Amino acid sequence: MSKLPDELIELLDDPASIKIVGTSDEDGTPHLVVKGSLTSLDGETLVFAEGFEGTQSNKNLVRSIWFDRKVSVNITRGLESYQIKGRPYKYLITGSTFRVMIDRARARRGPEADIAGVWVIVPEEVRNESPAVKAAEVLQKRGHFHRHLDLLRQAE
Amino acid sequence: MSATQEPGLRALAEKYPDFPKSIILKLDLQRRGIEFTEATAHATSQPYYRGPEQTAFSGKDTTRQPLPGPILLRDGTSVLASPVPNQFVDPYTIDYVDGKFYAFDKGERIDEVDFAPRPEFYGKSTSRGVPMDSIAWSRPQRLDIYPYRYCHYWDTRDQCKFCAFFTDLKKQKQLAGDSYAKIVHPEDIYETVREALKEPGRYSQINLTAGTDYSGEVPFENEVDRYIEVLQAIGRNFGSRRFPSQLIAPAYTRQQVKRLYDETGLSSYCPDIEVWDKELFKWICPGKEKWFGRDYWIRSAVEAVEIFGKGNVYTNFVAGVEFARPHGFTSIEQALDSNFEACEYFAKNGVIYLSLVWTPWKGTGLAGQKQPPLEYYVRLVRGLVEIRKHYGLASDNDDFKHCGNHGDSDLERLT
Repeated sequence: MSKLPDELIELLDDPASIKIVGTSDEDGTPHLVVKGSLTSLDGETLVFAEGFEGTQSNKNLVRSIWFDRKVSVNITRGLESYQIKGRPYKYLITGSTFRVMIDRARARRGPEADIAGVWVIVPEEVRNESPAVKAAEVLQKRGHFHRHLDLLRQAE
Repeated sequence: MSATQEPGLRALAEKYPDFPKSIILKLDLQRRGIEFTEATAHATSQPYYRGPEQTAFSGKDTTRQPLPGPILLRDGTSVLASPVPNQFVDPYTIDYVDGKFYAFDKGERIDEVDFAPRPEFYGKSTSRGVPMDSIAWSRPQRLDIYPYRYCHYWDTRDQCKFCAFFTDLKKQKQLAGDSYAKIVHPEDIYETVREALKEPGRYSQINLTAGTDYSGEVPFENEVDRYIEVLQAIGRNFGSRRFPSQLIAPAYTRQQVKRLYDETGLSSYCPDIEVWDKELFKWICPGKEKWFGRDYWIRSAVEAVEIFGKGNVYTNFVAGVEFARPHGFTSIEQALDSNFEACEYFAKNGVIYLSLVWTPWKGTGLAGQKQPPLEYYVRLVRGLVEIRKHYGLASDNDDFKHCGNHGDSDLERLT
């Protein structure tokens, strides 16, 4: 497994970041949920807590680990954004990582907070989707093609 | 069909692509058993995993070793399987390689596995000086308590034929070890549960079961009184009227079941039918037949739904024992038909009929008998889930994280 980029780790550690997990249901319909608990504890894998066993998101994740489907994750803070594609590798219902995550949930959301389990995602593709980075990539690859001309006009 | 002709994990995963491979693995781990390498035995005896020493019976062989909690597969499925020496013919090997556990089949690495870790209450004692790890045992999300460590079916040689809790009358008390009392004091149970609940997120259910005691002015009354006393002691730990719990016990009268519901915080009741077929029930469960027969056990489960509610009454069966010689079924279809008939009957009455894999333990009357092929279990658990789904039932109490014995309830994560 590869180390995640430092900038991504910093985004993951920031509570102000918005963290979204994308799964798909049985017929392929996408399902997006915000996961404030999403983080990396080892710098290589992503983990997040699941609150309830029966949610659509959790069923989709179970289907993904059973039938080898990918999931997608987006982490955004302002104009910084990363997209990660990967596969669920483990669902933890007890143990040291589970304990870390339930302790965090209770510290973040209060002593009544509960979690059902913790998903571990192994990233397979990490993309910096920040607009500035994407713009530079497109510029390098396609030049000014498709750029709106008003952005290229001479300043008056 | 010889063992070599029977499709195994890989072949069945290809044949049933819509059936999770991890559940096939679980069924086969339980069916064929497991063994530990020295590296695994050493790693699981370290503080993170180390459980209390347990006595393992295997024919004449008796060993004591510290065992970790149940196996955990990558998808969170728990698997109740013990590495009993000299018991299994063709077990999976659990090896410890580069800091991780793996299941191997004849040298082929199948998948990464783990074990439920040691709970924090192990190693502590109650105020009466009783070791708490002799009072309760830990599954991944469940606390198991056996308040009475003696089964009186054995007194008259009427024990269930598959039962391996005790090898003979003399050894019965060895279920929990020589240092443990036959009757566990309710205050020791109260204190142990209180201590166990201090570990955040460790438990989401308490399970009680015990050997059968049919004594009392009304049969089973002493046992019911004992369970009520124990459940009330446990209940003092909770602020809510009911707490997630299950009692696996004999079939009781409606009045006895109502007392359990009304006088305690119990949320689920499970009188195990063990085997559905009428004649096989008589043969395999002579104690249950004597006290008071198959119809009584079925009626007890069905009537309990009126008290505990739809989906809160269970009955387990030992899947595979219906093939036991010389009276068992001889065809897969016959056995499937019988179990699906049972599941349908119970489901339409609000009862969940759950399978667990039969192991013909040495030390039981069925030692050495051949289990049905793995494919039988795949077809069985899938069929059971389809029937229950039709009736709007799913097994919350005995699901993938609480019990570790039921491939069918594992499948219900998607229902």
